[in-house]
Amino acid sequence: MFVINCPHCQEAREEEEFHYEGEAFIARPANPEAETDDAWGDYLFMKKNPKGWHWEMWNHATGCRKILVAKRNTANHAIAGSWTLSEARKVYDKEQYDAEQATK
Amino acid sequence: MSNLELNLSQFSPVMQTPLQHFNLSAKQEKMTDAKGVWAHEMALLGYIHLRGNAQNKDFLTAVKKATGVDLPTAACSISVASAITMLNLSPDEWMLICPREQRAGLQKKLEAALTGIHSQVLDSSGGYTSVWLQGKQATDALQHCTVYNLHALTPNKVVGTTFGKASVIIYRLDNGFCLVLRRSFADYIWRYLARAAAPYGLGIAAL
Ligand SMILES: [Zn+2]
Repeated sequence: MFVINCPHCQEAREEEEFHYEGEAFIARPANPEAETDDAWGDYLFMKKNPKGWHWEMWNHATGCRKILVAKRNTANHAIAGSWTLSEARKVYDKEQYDAEQATK
Repeated sequence: MSNLELNLSQFSPVMQTPLQHFNLSAKQEKMTDAKGVWAHEMALLGYIHLRGNAQNKDFLTAVKKATGVDLPTAACSISVASAITMLNLSPDEWMLICPREQRAGLQKKLEAALTGIHSQVLDSSGGYTSVWLQGKQATDALQHCTVYNLHALTPNKVVGTTFGKASVIIYRLDNGFCLVLRRSFADYIWRYLARAAAPYGLGIAAL
Protein backbone atom coordinates (compact mmCIF):
# COMPACT_ATOMS: atom_id res chain seq x y z
CA MET A 1 0.00 0.00 0.00
CA PHE A 2 1.31 3.40 -0.91
CA VAL A 3 0.19 6.89 -1.65
CA ILE A 4 0.34 8.55 -5.06
CA ASN A 5 0.20 12.27 -5.65
CA CYS A 6 -2.32 12.97 -8.41
CA PRO A 7 -1.12 15.96 -10.47
CA HIS A 8 -4.69 16.59 -11.66
CA CYS A 9 -6.38 16.54 -8.24
CA GLN A 10 -3.22 18.10 -6.78
CA GLU A 11 -3.43 15.88 -3.75
CA ALA A 12 -1.86 12.71 -2.34
CA ARG A 13 -4.33 9.83 -2.53
CA GLU A 14 -4.42 6.20 -1.44
CA GLU A 15 -3.29 3.58 -3.93
CA GLU A 16 -6.78 2.04 -3.75
CA GLU A 17 -8.15 5.02 -5.70
CA PHE A 18 -5.84 4.22 -8.63
CA HIS A 19 -5.63 1.59 -11.31
CA TYR A 20 -2.29 0.49 -12.73
CA GLU A 21 -1.94 1.16 -16.45
CA GLY A 22 1.45 -0.35 -17.26
CA GLU A 23 4.83 0.87 -18.40
CA ALA A 24 4.93 4.46 -19.63
CA PHE A 25 6.28 5.87 -22.90
CA ILE A 26 6.08 2.76 -25.06
CA ALA A 27 5.73 4.14 -28.56
CA ARG A 28 2.89 2.59 -30.54
CA PRO A 29 4.09 1.55 -34.00
CA ALA A 30 3.17 4.36 -36.39
CA ASN A 31 1.99 1.94 -39.06
CA PRO A 32 0.57 -1.20 -37.36
CA GLU A 33 -0.49 -2.78 -40.68
CA ALA A 34 3.12 -2.89 -41.82
CA GLU A 35 4.46 -4.48 -38.63
CA THR A 36 5.40 -8.13 -38.48
CA ASP A 37 3.54 -10.26 -35.94
CA ASP A 38 6.74 -10.52 -33.91
CA ALA A 39 7.20 -6.75 -33.77
CA TRP A 40 3.56 -6.23 -32.85
CA GLY A 41 3.81 -8.94 -30.17
CA ASP A 42 6.88 -7.23 -28.75
CA TYR A 43 5.04 -3.93 -28.61
CA LEU A 44 2.08 -5.48 -26.82
CA PHE A 45 3.75 -7.87 -24.42
CA MET A 46 7.47 -7.25 -23.97
CA LYS A 47 7.88 -4.93 -21.01
CA LYS A 48 11.02 -3.91 -19.12
CA ASN A 49 9.83 -5.35 -15.78
CA PRO A 50 12.85 -4.07 -13.84
CA LYS A 51 13.69 -4.49 -10.19
CA GLY A 52 14.18 -0.86 -9.24
CA TRP A 53 13.06 2.42 -10.79
CA HIS A 54 10.22 2.12 -13.26
CA TRP A 55 8.32 4.73 -15.28
CA GLU A 56 4.68 3.70 -15.25
CA MET A 57 1.18 4.99 -15.86
CA TRP A 58 -1.65 5.05 -13.36
CA ASN A 59 -5.30 5.94 -13.79
CA HIS A 60 -6.90 7.88 -10.95
CA ALA A 61 -9.89 5.58 -11.31
CA THR A 62 -12.22 6.78 -8.54
CA GLY A 63 -11.10 10.42 -8.74
CA CYS A 64 -10.47 12.50 -11.84
CA ARG A 65 -10.18 9.35 -14.05
CA LYS A 66 -7.14 10.81 -15.76
CA ILE A 67 -3.85 9.13 -16.57
CA LEU A 68 -0.71 10.18 -14.74
CA VAL A 69 2.87 8.98 -14.77
CA ALA A 70 4.81 7.92 -11.69
CA LYS A 71 8.44 6.93 -11.32
CA ARG A 72 8.23 4.11 -8.79
CA ASN A 73 10.80 1.75 -7.35
CA THR A 74 9.36 -1.72 -7.84
CA ALA A 75 11.53 -3.15 -5.07
CA ASN A 76 10.43 -0.89 -2.22
CA HIS A 77 7.51 1.15 -3.59
CA ALA A 78 9.36 4.42 -3.16
CA ILE A 79 7.93 7.03 -5.53
CA ALA A 80 10.37 9.59 -6.96
CA GLY A 81 7.61 11.72 -8.40
CA SER A 82 4.35 11.79 -10.34
CA TRP A 83 3.39 14.05 -13.21
CA THR A 84 0.89 14.58 -15.99
CA LEU A 85 1.84 12.69 -19.17
CA SER A 86 3.36 15.76 -20.84
CA GLU A 87 5.27 16.95 -17.78
CA ALA A 88 6.56 13.44 -17.11
CA ARG A 89 7.77 13.13 -20.69
CA LYS A 90 10.12 16.11 -20.22
CA VAL A 91 11.57 14.66 -17.01
CA TYR A 92 11.87 11.21 -18.58
CA ASP A 93 13.58 12.51 -21.73
CA LYS A 94 16.07 14.52 -19.69
CA GLU A 95 16.84 11.47 -17.56
CA GLN A 96 17.41 9.34 -20.69
CA TYR A 97 19.60 12.05 -22.20
CA ASP A 98 21.68 12.47 -19.01
CA ALA A 99 22.16 8.71 -18.76
CA GLU A 100 23.35 8.60 -22.39
CA GLN A 101 25.80 11.44 -21.82
CA ALA A 102 27.17 9.72 -18.70
CA THR A 103 28.06 6.56 -20.63
CA LYS A 104 29.87 8.46 -23.41
CA MET B 1 -47.99 -6.18 -33.26
CA SER B 2 -51.35 -4.72 -32.27
CA ASN B 3 -50.74 -5.92 -28.71
CA LEU B 4 -47.48 -4.03 -28.60
CA GLU B 5 -49.15 -0.85 -29.80
CA LEU B 6 -51.86 -1.26 -27.18
CA ASN B 7 -49.30 -1.73 -24.40
CA LEU B 8 -47.25 1.25 -25.49
CA SER B 9 -50.31 3.48 -25.51
CA GLN B 10 -50.95 2.51 -21.89
CA PHE B 11 -47.32 2.98 -20.89
CA SER B 12 -47.07 5.76 -18.35
CA PRO B 13 -43.59 5.73 -16.81
CA VAL B 14 -43.17 6.82 -13.19
CA MET B 15 -39.89 8.35 -12.06
CA GLN B 16 -38.55 6.59 -8.97
CA THR B 17 -35.37 6.98 -6.99
CA PRO B 18 -33.00 4.00 -6.87
CA LEU B 19 -33.56 3.95 -3.07
CA GLN B 20 -37.34 3.71 -3.49
CA HIS B 21 -37.52 0.21 -1.97
CA PHE B 22 -36.09 1.43 1.36
CA ASN B 23 -39.14 3.71 1.73
CA LEU B 24 -36.99 6.30 3.48
CA SER B 25 -39.64 9.03 3.49
CA ALA B 26 -41.84 6.92 5.78
CA LYS B 27 -38.97 6.61 8.28
CA GLN B 28 -38.27 10.32 8.57
CA GLU B 29 -38.04 11.88 12.02
CA LYS B 30 -36.96 15.14 13.57
CA MET B 31 -33.21 15.34 14.18
CA THR B 32 -32.11 15.00 17.81
CA ASP B 33 -28.81 14.33 19.57
CA ALA B 34 -30.00 10.83 20.45
CA LYS B 35 -28.60 9.56 17.14
CA GLY B 36 -25.08 10.18 15.94
CA VAL B 37 -25.74 10.04 12.19
CA TRP B 38 -28.58 11.56 10.20
CA ALA B 39 -29.08 10.80 6.53
CA HIS B 40 -31.60 11.36 3.83
CA GLU B 41 -31.73 10.99 0.10
CA MET B 42 -31.88 14.10 -2.04
CA ALA B 43 -33.93 12.28 -4.61
CA LEU B 44 -34.40 12.95 -8.31
CA LEU B 45 -32.15 15.95 -8.81
CA GLY B 46 -30.84 17.12 -12.16
CA TYR B 47 -27.24 16.20 -13.04
CA ILE B 48 -25.37 17.74 -15.93
CA HIS B 49 -21.84 16.83 -16.93
CA LEU B 50 -19.94 19.74 -18.44
CA ARG B 51 -16.61 19.42 -20.22
CA GLY B 52 -14.41 22.14 -21.61
CA ASN B 53 -11.07 23.87 -21.45
CA ALA B 54 -10.71 25.87 -18.21
CA GLN B 55 -7.89 27.88 -19.84
CA ASN B 56 -10.31 29.14 -22.48
CA LYS B 57 -11.74 32.48 -21.25
CA ASP B 58 -14.67 32.23 -23.71
CA PHE B 59 -15.67 28.92 -22.17
CA LEU B 60 -15.62 30.32 -18.63
CA THR B 61 -17.52 33.45 -19.65
CA ALA B 62 -20.18 31.41 -21.47
CA VAL B 63 -20.74 29.14 -18.47
CA LYS B 64 -21.02 32.15 -16.18
CA LYS B 65 -23.51 33.72 -18.56
CA ALA B 66 -25.66 30.58 -18.69
CA THR B 67 -25.61 29.78 -14.98
CA GLY B 68 -24.80 33.01 -13.18
CA VAL B 69 -22.11 31.13 -11.25
CA ASP B 70 -18.33 31.09 -11.64
CA LEU B 71 -17.11 27.68 -12.72
CA PRO B 72 -14.91 26.22 -9.93
CA THR B 73 -11.60 25.88 -11.78
CA ALA B 74 -9.36 24.97 -8.82
CA ALA B 75 -8.82 21.24 -8.30
CA CYS B 76 -11.41 19.64 -5.97
CA SER B 77 -13.32 22.90 -5.50
CA ILE B 78 -17.06 23.58 -5.70
CA SER B 79 -19.34 26.54 -6.35
CA VAL B 80 -22.63 26.70 -4.49
CA ALA B 81 -25.47 29.00 -5.51
CA SER B 82 -29.13 28.91 -4.54
CA ALA B 83 -30.34 26.49 -7.18
CA ILE B 84 -27.12 25.05 -8.56
CA THR B 85 -24.05 23.28 -7.20
CA MET B 86 -20.98 22.89 -9.41
CA LEU B 87 -18.41 20.23 -8.64
CA ASN B 88 -14.91 20.22 -10.12
CA LEU B 89 -14.41 16.54 -10.98
CA SER B 90 -11.29 16.85 -13.09
CA PRO B 91 -9.31 19.66 -14.77
CA ASP B 92 -11.71 19.63 -17.72
CA GLU B 93 -14.87 18.14 -16.27
CA TRP B 94 -17.58 19.44 -13.94
CA MET B 95 -20.85 18.16 -12.55
CA LEU B 96 -23.72 20.62 -12.25
CA ILE B 97 -26.48 19.64 -9.83
CA CYS B 98 -29.83 21.43 -9.82
CA PRO B 99 -33.51 20.77 -9.07
CA ARG B 100 -34.86 18.25 -11.58
CA GLU B 101 -37.41 20.66 -13.05
CA GLN B 102 -34.64 23.16 -13.87
CA ARG B 103 -32.42 20.63 -15.61
CA ALA B 104 -33.78 21.00 -19.16
CA GLY B 105 -33.69 24.79 -18.98
CA LEU B 106 -30.15 24.82 -17.65
CA GLN B 107 -29.00 22.44 -20.36
CA LYS B 108 -30.58 24.59 -23.07
CA LYS B 109 -28.98 27.76 -21.69
CA LEU B 110 -25.56 26.09 -21.51
CA GLU B 111 -25.83 24.71 -25.04
CA ALA B 112 -26.88 28.11 -26.37
CA ALA B 113 -24.09 29.98 -24.58
CA LEU B 114 -21.46 27.40 -25.58
CA THR B 115 -22.30 27.33 -29.29
CA GLY B 116 -19.06 27.39 -31.25
CA ILE B 117 -16.93 26.73 -28.15
CA HIS B 118 -15.21 23.34 -27.86
CA SER B 119 -17.19 21.78 -25.01
CA GLN B 120 -19.74 19.15 -24.05
CA VAL B 121 -23.00 19.38 -22.10
CA LEU B 122 -24.47 16.03 -21.11
CA ASP B 123 -27.61 15.20 -19.14
CA SER B 124 -26.69 12.45 -16.65
CA SER B 125 -29.80 12.80 -14.48
CA GLY B 126 -30.82 9.21 -15.07
CA GLY B 127 -27.54 7.92 -13.69
CA TYR B 128 -27.10 9.46 -10.25
CA THR B 129 -28.63 10.14 -6.89
CA SER B 130 -27.41 12.03 -3.82
CA VAL B 131 -27.38 11.15 -0.13
CA TRP B 132 -26.96 13.82 2.52
CA LEU B 133 -25.20 12.92 5.76
CA GLN B 134 -24.84 14.93 8.94
CA GLY B 135 -24.71 14.48 12.71
CA LYS B 136 -21.98 14.52 15.32
CA GLN B 137 -20.65 11.11 14.26
CA ALA B 138 -21.26 11.37 10.53
CA THR B 139 -17.52 11.63 9.86
CA ASP B 140 -16.80 8.52 11.97
CA ALA B 141 -19.48 6.52 10.19
CA LEU B 142 -18.41 7.61 6.71
CA GLN B 143 -14.74 6.99 7.46
CA HIS B 144 -15.55 3.25 7.76
CA CYS B 145 -16.60 3.29 4.10
CA THR B 146 -13.80 5.13 2.30
CA VAL B 147 -10.00 5.31 2.11
CA TYR B 148 -10.05 9.11 1.82
CA ASN B 149 -9.06 10.93 5.03
CA LEU B 150 -12.27 12.84 5.69
CA HIS B 151 -10.50 15.27 8.01
CA ALA B 152 -8.78 16.55 4.86
CA LEU B 153 -12.19 17.10 3.27
CA THR B 154 -12.79 20.67 4.34
CA PRO B 155 -16.06 22.52 3.63
CA ASN B 156 -16.55 23.41 -0.05
CA LYS B 157 -14.23 20.68 -1.25
CA VAL B 158 -15.11 17.70 -3.43
CA VAL B 159 -13.27 14.42 -3.99
CA GLY B 160 -13.92 11.29 -5.98
CA THR B 161 -12.89 8.32 -3.90
CA THR B 162 -13.71 4.75 -2.89
CA PHE B 163 -16.82 3.60 -1.05
CA GLY B 164 -16.45 -0.04 -0.11
CA LYS B 165 -15.81 -1.77 -3.42
CA ALA B 166 -17.53 1.03 -5.34
CA SER B 167 -16.75 4.71 -5.81
CA VAL B 168 -18.53 7.95 -4.92
CA ILE B 169 -18.13 11.67 -5.25
CA ILE B 170 -18.18 13.30 -1.82
CA TYR B 171 -18.47 17.03 -1.22
CA ARG B 172 -18.64 18.75 2.09
CA LEU B 173 -20.59 21.80 3.20
CA ASP B 174 -20.37 23.42 6.65
CA ASN B 175 -22.93 21.11 8.26
CA GLY B 176 -22.42 17.77 6.55
CA PHE B 177 -21.44 15.60 3.59
CA CYS B 178 -23.16 14.97 0.32
CA LEU B 179 -22.50 11.66 -1.46
CA VAL B 180 -23.15 11.68 -5.19
CA LEU B 181 -23.44 8.09 -6.31
CA ARG B 182 -24.27 6.09 -9.38
CA ARG B 183 -27.81 4.85 -9.53
CA SER B 184 -26.72 1.27 -10.14
CA PHE B 185 -24.66 1.26 -6.91
CA ALA B 186 -27.29 3.02 -4.78
CA ASP B 187 -28.59 -0.14 -3.09
CA TYR B 188 -25.09 -1.37 -2.21
CA ILE B 189 -23.93 2.03 -0.98
CA TRP B 190 -27.02 2.73 1.12
CA ARG B 191 -26.84 -0.70 2.83
CA TYR B 192 -23.10 -0.27 3.43
CA LEU B 193 -23.64 3.21 4.88
CA ALA B 194 -26.54 2.10 7.08
CA ARG B 195 -24.43 -0.78 8.43
CA ALA B 196 -21.47 1.51 9.13
CA ALA B 197 -23.68 4.08 10.86
CA ALA B 198 -25.66 1.56 12.93
CA PRO B 199 -23.34 1.61 16.00
CA TYR B 200 -23.72 5.40 16.21
CA GLY B 201 -27.45 5.36 15.70
CA LEU B 202 -28.77 6.17 12.22
CA GLY B 203 -31.80 8.37 11.76
CA ILE B 204 -33.57 9.39 8.58
CA ALA B 205 -33.72 13.16 8.77
CA ALA B 206 -37.00 14.88 7.95
CA LEU B 207 -36.47 17.33 5.12
ZN1 LIG C 1 -6.84 12.71 -9.78
